Amino acid sequence: MLFQFEGVTKTYGPVVALDNLSVTAPAGAIGLLGPNGSGKTTLIRSLLGLTRVDRGSGHVLGMDFRRRQLDIRRAVGFVPEDECLFPHVVGVEFVTYAGELVGMSTKDAMQRSHEVLDYVGLGEARYRKVESYSSGMKQRLKLASAIVHDPQLLIMDEPTNGMDPRGREDLLELARDLTHNKGMSLLFSSHLLPDVETVCDEVIVLGRGKLLTEGNIQELKQLHNRSFEVRLKADTGSFAERLKALGCGAELRDESLVVQIPEGRTQQLLWEVAAQERAQIRNLRPQRSTLEEVFLKAVEQA
Amino acid sequence: MPIFDQGYQHWKGQLSGHAWRWLAITRHGVRIGMQGRVFRAVLLVSLLPAMALATALCIWGLVERRSDLVSTIVQFLVSAQILSPGIVDDPRHYRLEIWTLCYNFFLSCELTLSMILILLVGPNLISQDLRFNALPLYLSRPLRRIDYLAGKLGVIAAFLGLAIIVPCLLSYGLGLLFSLDFSIVKDTYRLLLASVAYGVVIILSAGMLILALSSLTRNSRWVALFFLGIWIVSNIASGLLELADREQRRIAFNREMTAATPQKTPAPKTREERRRRMEVMNAAQAERLEKLEAQQTEASKSDWRPLVSYTGNLSRVGRQLLRTDACWEKLSEVQPLALRKRFLATWTGPQYPWYWSAGVLSGLFVLSAVILSFSVRSLDRLR
Amino acid sequence: MTRTGDMAPIVDFHEVSKWYGNVIGINKLTVRVPAGVTGLLGPNGAGKSTFLQLATGQLYASQGKVRVLGQRVWNNSGINREIGLCPEQDAFYEWMTGWDFVYTSARLAGLSRWAARDATERTLEAVGMTQYQGRAIRGYSKGMRQRTKLAQALVHDPRVLFLDEPLTGTDPLARHDLMTIIQRLGNERKSVVVSSHVLHEVQTLTPNIILLNHGRLVAEGNVRDIRDLIDKHPHQIVLICEEYRKLAARVLSWPDVEGVRVLSQQKGIMVETHKPDAFYGRLPELSLEDGMAIKEVYSEDDSLESVFKYLVNA
Repeated sequence: MLFQFEGVTKTYGPVVALDNLSVTAPAGAIGLLGPNGSGKTTLIRSLLGLTRVDRGSGHVLGMDFRRRQLDIRRAVGFVPEDECLFPHVVGVEFVTYAGELVGMSTKDAMQRSHEVLDYVGLGEARYRKVESYSSGMKQRLKLASAIVHDPQLLIMDEPTNGMDPRGREDLLELARDLTHNKGMSLLFSSHLLPDVETVCDEVIVLGRGKLLTEGNIQELKQLHNRSFEVRLKADTGSFAERLKALGCGAELRDESLVVQIPEGRTQQLLWEVAAQERAQIRNLRPQRSTLEEVFLKAVEQA
Repeated sequence: MPIFDQGYQHWKGQLSGHAWRWLAITRHGVRIGMQGRVFRAVLLVSLLPAMALATALCIWGLVERRSDLVSTIVQFLVSAQILSPGIVDDPRHYRLEIWTLCYNFFLSCELTLSMILILLVGPNLISQDLRFNALPLYLSRPLRRIDYLAGKLGVIAAFLGLAIIVPCLLSYGLGLLFSLDFSIVKDTYRLLLASVAYGVVIILSAGMLILALSSLTRNSRWVALFFLGIWIVSNIASGLLELADREQRRIAFNREMTAATPQKTPAPKTREERRRRMEVMNAAQAERLEKLEAQQTEASKSDWRPLVSYTGNLSRVGRQLLRTDACWEKLSEVQPLALRKRFLATWTGPQYPWYWSAGVLSGLFVLSAVILSFSVRSLDRLR
Repeated sequence: MTRTGDMAPIVDFHEVSKWYGNVIGINKLTVRVPAGVTGLLGPNGAGKSTFLQLATGQLYASQGKVRVLGQRVWNNSGINREIGLCPEQDAFYEWMTGWDFVYTSARLAGLSRWAARDATERTLEAVGMTQYQGRAIRGYSKGMRQRTKLAQALVHDPRVLFLDEPLTGTDPLARHDLMTIIQRLGNERKSVVVSSHVLHEVQTLTPNIILLNHGRLVAEGNVRDIRDLIDKHPHQIVLICEEYRKLAARVLSWPDVEGVRVLSQQKGIMVETHKPDAFYGRLPELSLEDGMAIKEVYSEDDSLESVFKYLVNA
């Protein structure tokens, strides 16, 4: 069990950030989603013990976050959203200092810092001043400084914001590796849903301080048994007509056809029509709702 | 196995308790502070008064032993009227006083140099963290705000300690060695403690002040400017106020005197009469000056104007800790009677109560602490 | 490359170069942006911001000609009536309310008082900011600021829009709304250039892209067409089938198949071929053969992400 909230409420003046929130998060890679103002930032801050909650209790990695804040922070690594740096140092010193601040001895911190910088892929750049780093490198540096003390839980707040595709891919790759191969738990807060899908297995959706939905991503994205997404090479008009004539539902969405196959028939029906029409089926997949649809539905229902 | 995993490895080390966390912050700050070339130069310069202090104490040690090595220097000092012969005749009697005065001069030099050091390294301490938004990185780690602030204060303490406290201790040791007389310790141990205490007062007061200023803005230039203002402008302001006050008193006094003088006597005719008139006038003049000075000294006992100067407050507290005024009084015994008052007036500082200065400094300390507790708390920076 | 519905180019760069001192921003770029939504992509430092600044007349090209709607943009303030720019930077007059800001932009674009008022109301409604229009911008969240920026670019109903990272910082709800607006604009035959790093968003918005790297044009046109032309990387097509090994054997007998990988976990195979067209053409008959019912077919690398990776990392 990663963390657990029970009836947590936090208000900032008239604004209610968390409203009697109760949620349990299992170990593993969890995405944290929610519209602006839903309380994600407040949730993260309470996990780290940076804000005191008005009511309710909770545990992070088995420790009460109202009492054992310093112990929690020893087992947690945080990659903040904004640009943050310790100024006027080179990369290695940055990560070493970050380790020392958690309580590592200087020797341990230095050795570990090089190890971790190797892992995130900052080679020779580690001997340059951090102010000269590109934004992608700064993100990786922040990640390195968050894992230098080998935390059990890594919290990433909008890590891929503003990064170019290559940088984004690298960072997500690192996050995936840490969680799926190296046994670190991850709380990934982001607005970019495909990123969350790439890295996380579970997801928690907040809205206006309340829990809207939570669960395994694959389970939430329901499989529609008889519904398929079909993309053809050429014009879909006559193809769709044929399908409708055979009793299928066929509607055009973006560039694809969403086809409902009637009972008793399989995809072979589509291949038959394709053979007749001399059409090329380039994409044929069972229809799954995307995480975006799950999210929008959850928010609407609130 | 022959092939080793190059990827991420887990770490099973020990994490120390957060009592020593401030040390990591101090070490980091010291390392960054030492990067500046100008700062390193000034640090070196600030060690010069330390060397002067050590030299002075060594010479005095040799004077006590009536060593021939220093006889030429002593003769020179006596002829330049820096040392009076009465002191040289009986050095042990005046040992504490001479040591105190040496330390006093050293500390007043170091006060100015400390202000410069703080000006160079202080503004960046917190304002750079604000500018580069390092606070989330600090606060998300297992350290409390107090550790952070203690660490930053430790940077100032490290540098000022090197400039003030370490020389105090080392010079004491050297002076001891050169006089080969361990009864010095009985006489002067209070002085050592007092000078270290004074150093601590400077560190705490100026350190908290610069930290508070540094935490208010991201732009370290404003902080430096503001601190410079507090130091120099307050000095100048206090000096001007005192000058204006003295002038006012002098003018009022003169007006009083002219009103009190009798009517003009007829002009003297003979040279003899003129000479006598001159004598009387000079005597009257001298008497008046004495009266004026007495008035000024009396007034300075309750003068609030010196409190305006920040460094003035620090030196007043320092004088009190080291008991320099008592030393001057003892030394004035060697002077001829007539000049004693003039001697004291020149050398002792303003005589207002020391606890006024202590009060001002404590007030500034509390204000700085309040400012720090508000500005470092704001988690909006963690947005 | 021809596209269906090709129209006269709205933004026209002809052999444009721009350098800053010794550093080159754009290097002999010739590209034509038609009506509809076009994605402008490229890694950091590729020249996307330079491109946008040249196209909106903020920079003067060191070489070549930049034309928008047939006119020169440099030193031509009249053209700004037809151009809308939503820049990446976040710079507002913080004391203004949202309504003030958009209204002032409308007035600056040349609308009369009443027209500006109407347009402001309509645009703020369209971006979903009507509820907050009376609040000062300094109290806005990131998403609200983005919406206001977009409103300011749309209010004078321009024919050409340049959007630089329009969706950064917005939550999925706002993202959904704003993407709908952008798509609608494209459907109205306006020319919308969207520069973004978030490839899957660009993919949702449009299949037409312009890809820059190191200041040069790498590719232009429909993503699928571009993919077909990338010779170095064969297409990777995944087929899911119960009898996947039999399918593999069958498929290997075709001469244009270059490799087959077995995906036993998914019960399928991944086929590599340089002639996707021919391959897809044979699939329907193959599926209808005995025991070869193909349950799923998709291509892993037919996406914008793969195209980007192949072209930029090359």
